[in-house]
Amino acid sequence: MNTRMNPNRRQFLRRSLALALGGVGLQTAFGNLNVLAAAANTRRYVFGDYKALVCVYLSGGNDSFNSIVPYSATQYAAYRQSRNGLVSSGGLALEQAAIQAQSLTALPASGGLPGGLPSDGGSYGLHPALAPLRSLFNTGKMAVVANVGTLLQPVTQAAYQAGNVPVPPQLFSHDDQSTYWQTSRPDDANADGWGGRIADLLYQSNAGLAPMSISLANENRYLRAAIVNPYAMDASGVDKMSYLGDGSESWIMGQNPGGAAAYNALIAEGTQAHVLEREYARAHSRAIDNYEIVSAALDSAPPLTTPFPDTSLGNQLRMVARLIGVRTALGMSRQVFYVSTGDYDTHDDQIDTQQSNLAELAQALAAFQAAMTELGTGPDVTTFTASDFGRSLAVNGDGTDHGWGGHHFVLGGAVRGARFYGRMPSLVQGTDANPNANPDDTGYGQIIPTTSVDQYAATLATWFGVSSGDIADIFPSLHRFDASNLRFLG
Amino acid sequence: MGKHMSRAAAPRLAIPAALFASCAAFAQTASHKPDTVWTDGYESPADGPRRDSDAARFLAQATFGPTTAEIARLRTLGYRAWLDQQFNEPVSTSEPYLDWVGNIPDNDVTDDTRLEIWAINAAALPDPSRGQQVPTDLLRQRVAFALSQIFVVSNANGTLNYQPWALASYQDMLATRAFGNFSDLLKAVTLHPAMGIYLNMLQNQKADDEQNIHPDENFAREVLQLFSVGLVRLNEDGTPQLVNGQLVPTYNQATVRGFAAVFTGWNWSNVGCGANTYTCCDEETYFWCGPGNRDEAPWQQPMQPVEAYHDTTTDKQLLNYATVSLPGGVLPHGGNATAELDAALANIVNHPNVGPFIARRLIQNLVTSNPSPAYVRRVAAAFANNGQGVRGDMKAVLRAVLLDAEARSGHLQRPETFGKLREPLLKLTHMWRAMDARAGNGRVGNLSTWPPLELRLGEAPLRSPTVFNFFKPDYSPPGEVRTAGMRAPEFQILSDSLAVSTPNRLFYELFCFYTGSDRCWDSDFADTLQMNLARDAPLAASNPGALLDRYNLLFLSGQMSPFMRATILTQLQQLTADDYGSALGRVRVQNALYLILNSPEYSVQK
Repeated sequence: MNTRMNPNRRQFLRRSLALALGGVGLQTAFGNLNVLAAAANTRRYVFGDYKALVCVYLSGGNDSFNSIVPYSATQYAAYRQSRNGLVSSGGLALEQAAIQAQSLTALPASGGLPGGLPSDGGSYGLHPALAPLRSLFNTGKMAVVANVGTLLQPVTQAAYQAGNVPVPPQLFSHDDQSTYWQTSRPDDANADGWGGRIADLLYQSNAGLAPMSISLANENRYLRAAIVNPYAMDASGVDKMSYLGDGSESWIMGQNPGGAAAYNALIAEGTQAHVLEREYARAHSRAIDNYEIVSAALDSAPPLTTPFPDTSLGNQLRMVARLIGVRTALGMSRQVFYVSTGDYDTHDDQIDTQQSNLAELAQALAAFQAAMTELGTGPDVTTFTASDFGRSLAVNGDGTDHGWGGHHFVLGGAVRGARFYGRMPSLVQGTDANPNANPDDTGYGQIIPTTSVDQYAATLATWFGVSSGDIADIFPSLHRFDASNLRFLG
Repeated sequence: MGKHMSRAAAPRLAIPAALFASCAAFAQTASHKPDTVWTDGYESPADGPRRDSDAARFLAQATFGPTTAEIARLRTLGYRAWLDQQFNEPVSTSEPYLDWVGNIPDNDVTDDTRLEIWAINAAALPDPSRGQQVPTDLLRQRVAFALSQIFVVSNANGTLNYQPWALASYQDMLATRAFGNFSDLLKAVTLHPAMGIYLNMLQNQKADDEQNIHPDENFAREVLQLFSVGLVRLNEDGTPQLVNGQLVPTYNQATVRGFAAVFTGWNWSNVGCGANTYTCCDEETYFWCGPGNRDEAPWQQPMQPVEAYHDTTTDKQLLNYATVSLPGGVLPHGGNATAELDAALANIVNHPNVGPFIARRLIQNLVTSNPSPAYVRRVAAAFANNGQGVRGDMKAVLRAVLLDAEARSGHLQRPETFGKLREPLLKLTHMWRAMDARAGNGRVGNLSTWPPLELRLGEAPLRSPTVFNFFKPDYSPPGEVRTAGMRAPEFQILSDSLAVSTPNRLFYELFCFYTGSDRCWDSDFADTLQMNLARDAPLAASNPGALLDRYNLLFLSGQMSPFMRATILTQLQQLTADDYGSALGRVRVQNALYLILNSPEYSVQK
């Protein structure tokens, strides 16, 4: 016996209440039907199209200076020196010829817009493990955004060293910097994620009641929000509750009169006496409703034919592709997704570790783009990378330390691809005698970002349909930077 | 919430019942609060326990779960004597179990083998590697688990994934040091090779300008941020200090570099080197020495210095604070690796943040997510001085955590907010302990699952995804909890997928793994830990209300609300002998346990 009401109906009630309360606990206004009616009638954003934004988070801080590498003579020489020589001689520098074999053929700037050849006049190629991305760049489906990092305002080497310009607290700390990347609010340690803040603004544009924010990598800061609860699901599919009779292992129990009714009564939302009990009940009740809505949609779609690598990231992006494939069944107009993979904190054994990390990344991203072609999403889906920080230019033996700025990839049909955006930093090594030999360096082998996460994120959010007024609210530091839109999206 | 909405508050409790439980036949008027407990206003809470329910509640905080026998023992001894006895119980180790399994023909030792002995020690099951000895160090094992979530190392690491001996040894180190001095604990953590691998202090080297090499900062940063002082200066009660409304950083990047330079020159222990596959570590072999086999001694021995790789030339900025003994917090250059490490750890341990920092972490792990500042202050004071002038006495700290008035009676003073979400892993151990689980051959295959335990429960011992643990101490889920300004760390692993997979995992244990079962393909394996459901089956068949009273004590410390009892009782009474025959009692036990273990009331330890 199923005592639960239709999951869509419950989701509708949750959504309406959440909107009315701005994220305040639902139980405080349970049953206030006037509020429900009012909530249903206010819809600020309405879209006639579909867009999805996919965040690929490289957990631990990717060494982007060994991912996008110069092969032109001057830049390569600096790179090789600061990376303590070639891998074959105990350093971390990749072979020049191997980089050149993966050269990125950039288009010059055009139309008076940003983006074009690398700003330093050098030539760049990809880490050999990123080979599957090369054709995406060269055919205009991918762009490189150079030296992005957490900033409160522009910072020069002199200002950084003098300490007279505010910088994000706890630079070089994983936890803090990944938080700031995902919130774009280094001034507020408790801020929600910028993906979540976008979802709070746009979720009502979706006619369907499936969660707008979906994570394939558990709870994360990027999707944390005041109103929209991110749905964290498993890459392998939707698991249902055994005890309620619709799970793959329910047969073990057999008939169970009254069991589902009792369980549902215990987790009925808002009835418990203790704050944490109510939250527990809410989380379980919501999870069941979400899987019922999402699994019904997934079951309605033909399988994807595009093969994906059987890796953590491959499986996560495959599920994202499947969810995008049922966007119409789910009634979605805007969706934000989060996938993540780890082991990027390469203090040790960087050469082997990064090789496998980047191979996983490139193969999964290439498969995802192929799946988007299969689904015919055209310019509707944009994928971007993010990471805790770039790594130090300086090495620490067979690895690198925590850095600051780093390069990132943006992929999709809307990308003004085959271009570099922002400034390529110098890779010249500072020395004890002249620690400031590289003006882009903090003085300790960490590269100062020249593009802020705000600019990167605001460009994505603008493409996604967030109004300029709301952009300013979501990214309050954005006005301190010269460009609020980097124009890497059409 | 605006004023206009509060007028609508009156009917709001009635409506959800009508909306969401409309076809349920339960007594909707039954209270969702536990029955009032009358206490004598003059009794000191630490002098108990005066009731079985108080004893069960204490054991839920201090062990991996109460049993009927332990409740009786605690009632006989009283809290203080029970603690004193527990402080002296010998440590149940895990490393010898790996050796034992390794010596069984055709048996491979994996990281799942380590989980077997973790479960044996946590649930206090007879240990087949030690002649069926039953672990008695209930508190020690529970505290070691708490410590493993502070001083995190993990198999989610390219190297440690294949080093069960190293991780077992690390676990044993935590258990052994749990009741010693914090200084010794922190030093043992620092020098354990598992930590050396995990946070890269092993084979860390002094700066080499020519090669553009800097000392690795990983351990230096995390020992400060996560293991001792945290990011910002704290008051004695754990609240952050504010200067002009701003938080005050505890240290800066120069400090991290100072500690990184201190932690240079450490390598594998040379105990037993030269033999077999194990190359001794010295200046020549610095980067390619160490054990060849994973069960060799160096995986379990403290790291040792190789002075040639230690930084002796730079002055090192350490923590600077009002009472610091080094002038300006600067350690002048020239000391050897050991002297500098000792000086640096003393510089950390004497920082005034450490007491409130560790107090708050332990309270959150054992007792409540939102301790009052006064509670934190009292525990921090015990850290600062155990009464005999000793700083860092963990026994004094744990006494303060568990005997504090707030720990003992916070659920009466703040019934709607006190407590914490139980960790999924503790639900498992609690169930095994309460239901007398045993395996045929004494091993525990239950945790060797695919997908791995940590993906089903969101956690598994020494398998955190990152050094930041499965969940963070300041996590607060969006919505009511956050609006109330509360923390609820364990909610960080209650994602939608885990909100399904964890109940399903408990379902599988309950409906497959009971004595005599052949229900599932792995029900009757020799290493399947099976619960003794038959113990309570007769009571369940004849008097399901009495069954719930028994479980109310064992699982909910007597805090089950009348509503919850009525709801489950109604369900149990729908299960009849006509349908289940002689299995009725067992089926009722399974349903009662499932509904309890997944209920909101049980899931919040209060």
